[in-house]
Amino acid sequence: MHDFYLARTSHSPEINFQFSRHHLSMTGEAYPENANDFFLPVLGQLKHYLDHTDGQHIVFDFRLTYFNSAATKMLYTLFGLLNESASTRNRITLNWFHDVEDDTILEFGEGIQDDFLALDFHAIAEDLAAA
Amino acid sequence: MQLDLFSAFRNSADFNGVLFYYNGQLSQNVINTMSDTLKHRLENEEAAQAKARKLFSSFIEMVQNALHYSPPDPDGNGEKVGAVAVGKQDNKFYIVCGNLVESQYAARIREKIEPLRSMTLDEIKKAYRAQLKNDQHENEDSVSKGAGLGFLTVARDASEPIEYSLMNVPAHDELAYFYLKAIV
Repeated sequence: MHDFYLARTSHSPEINFQFSRHHLSMTGEAYPENANDFFLPVLGQLKHYLDHTDGQHIVFDFRLTYFNSAATKMLYTLFGLLNESASTRNRITLNWFHDVEDDTILEFGEGIQDDFLALDFHAIAEDLAAA
Repeated sequence: MQLDLFSAFRNSADFNGVLFYYNGQLSQNVINTMSDTLKHRLENEEAAQAKARKLFSSFIEMVQNALHYSPPDPDGNGEKVGAVAVGKQDNKFYIVCGNLVESQYAARIREKIEPLRSMTLDEIKKAYRAQLKNDQHENEDSVSKGAGLGFLTVARDASEPIEYSLMNVPAHDELAYFYLKAIV
């Protein structure tokens, strides 16, 4: 299937799903006017890819510096999809990049780690001021 | 506006540490412009990054809430309107947002906010996690357009209990003015 790319805007993140390389990333900030309108197509693409992928090592680089409450719920659904695939068909590494000072995003990541045990979760602190 | 009244308005804003004030039509474009302005203002404030992020988060939750739930201004051209102020007092940031709501939802707003006011931060975080995992939200709450996490997010990011007020709108029994304040 084709790779999926959305350019970053002031209120929505860059989505770079390189399905051909099994490398997926999300970078930027997420507070679109309607989180469902933005994320449902992204979830659809991801689900289609996961449904057709077996025995791969998939790497997901998560690099969001801010997401609003509606986006948070969508992200939770997204990690649920990854976890389901990681429990049965693929190995999935989730690299959780967060700013050194950002406890909110680190805590959310730790919640993801607790709730979705099949994911190979790595929290990576870095200076994201320039991301 | 007479210049002396404008001067009094400006002095009062200064006295209350107002960094940013907006009153008028609400749209996603207005919100985007305000977000950019607020980000720049915060960069110049030398606020701790963590605090600036929490303030920004509360700002977005409040203004998007106002945009999603407020009915059109009855005296306008069907526009949604709101007022928002961000300021700094005693080394803490505050944010106040005011918008119209339908009076029929006033009790619902009270029910959602009142419990948050007496919860500890740990309790708020637990409630947030529970709501995040709640798959039944859409069925349980037909009024909500989001994930039911908005007020919880504002309460989580605040350093003091959030404050709110619901006030009558003269000549419009079907409407109320809803004010929400958070201190970060």
